[in-house]
Amino acid sequence: MKALAIILAVIFLALSAVYLIPHGPLGHHYKHAALFFVLAVLSLVWLRFQPGGASAPSRR
Amino acid sequence: MTFLQAMLLAVLQGVSELFPVSSLGHTVLVPALLHWRIDRSDPTFLAFVVVLHLGTATALVVFYWSDWVRIGRALAASVARGNFSADRDEKTGWLLVAGTIPLALVGVFLEKPVRQIFGSPELVSLFLIANAFVMFAGERLRRAAREPGGKATRSLWALSLSDGAKVGLAQAAALLPGISRSGASIVAGLLEGLSHEDAARFSFLLATPAIGAASVLEIPELFAPGANVVLVQSLLGGVLAGVTAYASVAFLTRYFHTNDLRPFGWYCLIFGTVCFLLALTKVIA
Repeated sequence: MKALAIILAVIFLALSAVYLIPHGPLGHHYKHAALFFVLAVLSLVWLRFQPGGASAPSRR
Repeated sequence: MTFLQAMLLAVLQGVSELFPVSSLGHTVLVPALLHWRIDRSDPTFLAFVVVLHLGTATALVVFYWSDWVRIGRALAASVARGNFSADRDEKTGWLLVAGTIPLALVGVFLEKPVRQIFGSPELVSLFLIANAFVMFAGERLRRAAREPGGKATRSLWALSLSDGAKVGLAQAAALLPGISRSGASIVAGLLEGLSHEDAARFSFLLATPAIGAASVLEIPELFAPGANVVLVQSLLGGVLAGVTAYASVAFLTRYFHTNDLRPFGWYCLIFGTVCFLLALTKVIA
C-alpha cells in the first residue's frame, strides 16, 4: 500500500504538471492541474496513514 | 443584463443553491419565463455568476464557521498523528474529503460537456420533474427503512468513508440542470440511514468545498477578455446572493429538524410541468 500511495502521488503530480504546460499534450487546463495536485497531496496523506509510512509515529 | 435583472438573479441564486430545487435549473427557466435576453455564454455574464457563487460560498463558510474551525483542527491533528481517532469532528472532516473527491473528479471532466448538451428549457424542465421524483422516492424508501426490521437511523459519524463517498457522488447528478445538488445529497444521506437534519447538515457542509472550489477556480473568468465586470452590480449581487444563501441555510437547518423533502418535490413537479408545457408550446424558449 505504501508503494501504491507513492506511485499515485507521483502520477498525480506529473499529470498536474502536464496540464499546466501551455500547448502541452493534454492541453492547458488549470482546473485539471489543481484537481490532480490535490489528489497528489491526498495520496501523500494516505501514505502517512500507512503503518510506518512517511515518518508517522507508531500507532497507539 | 439590467441592474434589476442582476439583483433578481442574485436572490434566485442565493435561495435556490441551497433549497433542493436546482439553482442551475432556475437560472435557466426563470429568465426564459420572464423573456430576459441573457447570453449565458457571454464573458460578462459568466463573471457575474462567479461573483454570485463566491457570495454563496462565503455565506456557507460564515454559517458553519465554528464547525469548519473544529473540523480543520481535527483533520490537521489526524494527519499529524498519521492515524484516525474516534473524534466526531475528525470523522466528519474525513467524510467531507471522501465526499468531495468523486464530485471534483466528475465535475472537472464532465461539467462543461454535460451542461452544453442538456441546457434547453424542455430538458431542464424534465430534469426538474425527475428531481421531484428523486425526492419522493427518497422519502418513500426512507419511511420503508424505518419500519420494523428496516435500517436503523445512524448518526453522521457512524458512516464509513465509502458511505461518505457515495453521498458525495450523488451530488454529481446535479451537473444535469434541473437536478438539485442538495436534494441529491440529502436523499443519498437519507438512504444511508441519516436523519433529515444530519443529511441536510452533511449536504450543506459538502456544498462549501464544492461551491467554494468551483468559484475560486472560476475567478480567472472575472478577468477574461470581454468580461466587462460592473463593479457595483457585481459587489451588490455577490452580497445579496450571500445574504439570501445565509438566510436559506438558517431556515433549512431548522426546517429539516422536523420536516421532510416532499414540499420541495411538489414544487419541482408543478414548476417543472408548467415550464415543460410552456416550452413545448414555444411560450418560453
